[in-house]
Amino acid sequence: MDEELSFCILTTVFFVLLPRLEEDVNMKEAQDVIEKALKEGRASLSEYESKNLLRLYGIPVTREKLVNDRGQLLEAAAEIGYPVVIKGCSSRLTHKTERNLVRVDVRNREEAVAAFEDLMSRMEGEGADLLVQEMIKGSRELVVGMTRDPQFGPCVMFGLGGIYTEILRDVSFRVAPLEKRDALQMAQEIRGRKILEELRGMPAADMETLCRILIKTGEIGLDNGAVKEIDINPLILSGSKPVAVDALVVLGDASASS
Amino acid sequence: MMATSRFFENLDALFNPETVAVIGASDNPAKLGYHVMKSLTEGGFRGTIVPVNPGAATVMGIESYPAIEGYGGSVELAVMVLPSKAVPGVMDECIRKGVRGVVLITAGFKEIDDPRGGELQADLSRVATRAELPVIGPNTFGVVNLNLSLNASFTPEFSLLRKGGVSLVSQSGGISHLMGFMAMEREVGMSKIVGLGNRLNVDFADMYSYLMSDPDTTVIALYLEGLDDPRKLMEAAKEHRGRKPVVAYKTGRAGSGDRASLSHTGSMAGRHEIYEGALKQAGILPLESAESLLDTARALAMCPLPKGSRVAILSGQAGPGMAACDLCEAHGLEVAVFQPGTQRVINDLLPPLALRTNPVDMGPAWYNALAIEGIIRAVMADEHVDGLIILMMYASANRGAPAGIAPLLLEWKQRKPVVSCFVSPQGIWDQDIRIMEGGQALVNCPSPERAALVMASLWECSKMMRYWTEEDRK
Repeated sequence: MDEELSFCILTTVFFVLLPRLEEDVNMKEAQDVIEKALKEGRASLSEYESKNLLRLYGIPVTREKLVNDRGQLLEAAAEIGYPVVIKGCSSRLTHKTERNLVRVDVRNREEAVAAFEDLMSRMEGEGADLLVQEMIKGSRELVVGMTRDPQFGPCVMFGLGGIYTEILRDVSFRVAPLEKRDALQMAQEIRGRKILEELRGMPAADMETLCRILIKTGEIGLDNGAVKEIDINPLILSGSKPVAVDALVVLGDASASS
Repeated sequence: MMATSRFFENLDALFNPETVAVIGASDNPAKLGYHVMKSLTEGGFRGTIVPVNPGAATVMGIESYPAIEGYGGSVELAVMVLPSKAVPGVMDECIRKGVRGVVLITAGFKEIDDPRGGELQADLSRVATRAELPVIGPNTFGVVNLNLSLNASFTPEFSLLRKGGVSLVSQSGGISHLMGFMAMEREVGMSKIVGLGNRLNVDFADMYSYLMSDPDTTVIALYLEGLDDPRKLMEAAKEHRGRKPVVAYKTGRAGSGDRASLSHTGSMAGRHEIYEGALKQAGILPLESAESLLDTARALAMCPLPKGSRVAILSGQAGPGMAACDLCEAHGLEVAVFQPGTQRVINDLLPPLALRTNPVDMGPAWYNALAIEGIIRAVMADEHVDGLIILMMYASANRGAPAGIAPLLLEWKQRKPVVSCFVSPQGIWDQDIRIMEGGQALVNCPSPERAALVMASLWECSKMMRYWTEEDRK
């Protein structure tokens, strides 16, 4: 009897409680990221914080490090491996490209140092950091988003991303929570759906991962009432793997219903 | 509002009453009560009609009562067409009487600017819902159940519709009339037409659930402008997924995707775009016009769903075939590549000057009914073909063509869907088409474009239905 009881307890711990605890840990960390920003009265998370939130939900993001001095920058770049991308990063920085605060294809120490000097001088007095991230090679850019509709609640958006996002407006929507069939259907619905297929020597997109990203993006909205909007743009197909290269999480009134 | 099972039983009684009371019945054509009486009496309803009008001993020759409680027998359906001020009192009377359902035609509630209208509606809703009494309306033209010859609306002409399986639930009276008269012209068989009006306590979700269980309804068509609680509809749809095809037409695109926002997503997420996604997510096919809504609902009632996207386009003249072809390709269908055996048969039957690959121009064989039959027969058997589009424009010399291929099509009975476009001056091919449609040989459309769109929608529905039922089997 005792043996059976022990067995039951152990099985429960391993198969029920431990996985659940792991989930809770991520949820708690996610909540902390958001709480911290709210306490500081901020309207959005920085790119680094946004990607961190996505990572906690299992969404693939670029390897990256937040630095604010030259030494840290060089160390980070070496660790990640050249070429790297270096960007200005702060919670108030939502238009990095327009402000010329993004340096791609930084190939060595010399270029990294030059980028550091340049970006830091452009951001003088703003108390901003620098984000050093791996450079993802891939020409197929997608967008994944979340918005809170007053009637439907959190909704997920998918479509063609990058600079053509608001020009082509080739996007589809579904209401969270998404099932896998919803994720697959919304991906097949855009006019540019062939971008997900094998083409021009590039492999077909990993649909399992893409579906998971769509489902999880909806979950972030369902779990966190303070998250008003999410932009993952671009979500780049690196070979077949979708990776979030930039992200913005907009915060709203937490008392607004989810 | 959680609809109880008693509420649904009452809704069923509303659509299938033995006795209908018309509260506000009148002999005066200037009153809506006159037109409601006319609808019921002229529509062929075989149950009992009870006019309620304190000012008349009879209405349309039928004994009238001063109040519903004055009538001795039971009353299942009460149609109210009297001033809004009188409605609350009469509603109480109906509840005491044990009425099972109400159609509240009267306007002057939530739809007017005066906030007292909205309050009145809210009060009525509470009262009715507590009594588990379904009230369709207010501000509606009424409801029609053709299977029972019940026309509880203020438009007697709805009774001219043919009986069938297509049911329409509409948020607009105008669109209901449009759809009804288009259906009349196209001889679409209809089951129920419901004007939801202001949706006191019967909303899309309730009608969706009801019609899914209604044995007379085979296809559900919805017209929407905006819902108060769209998630309820989505939940109802989830519950009944895959049971019957559902198509919808939603208007109200203004202001879509114009919002200024910090994020791309926020500025692109217009209400209409989200609705389209939500409808598809619920297994409802959104369409782009009232015409398309009717064409598709009609075809869904008359055709099997294609198992694939590949169509064969066979035309008595090249031009219409090209028109159909363009639209097929633009809407998700593939122009099938025939199997070699099929192509050989076609090549044998048509002279080389004809366009013999898909889309096939059968024009050069106009004089040869057997050739045309042979082509159709070969294409039917082709494994690369999931659906057939057959087009023919009348040209005197081909007067006998539809009758010539009818036996083949009637015998085949659409083992794959057949959408046709046979166009002739009035009276020439009408009967031939009627016979083929009546025998489930095909569904006929007035233009090549509409035929192509119908086939495209059948394929979209097929994908939707298949997806639902396959998932559930896992």
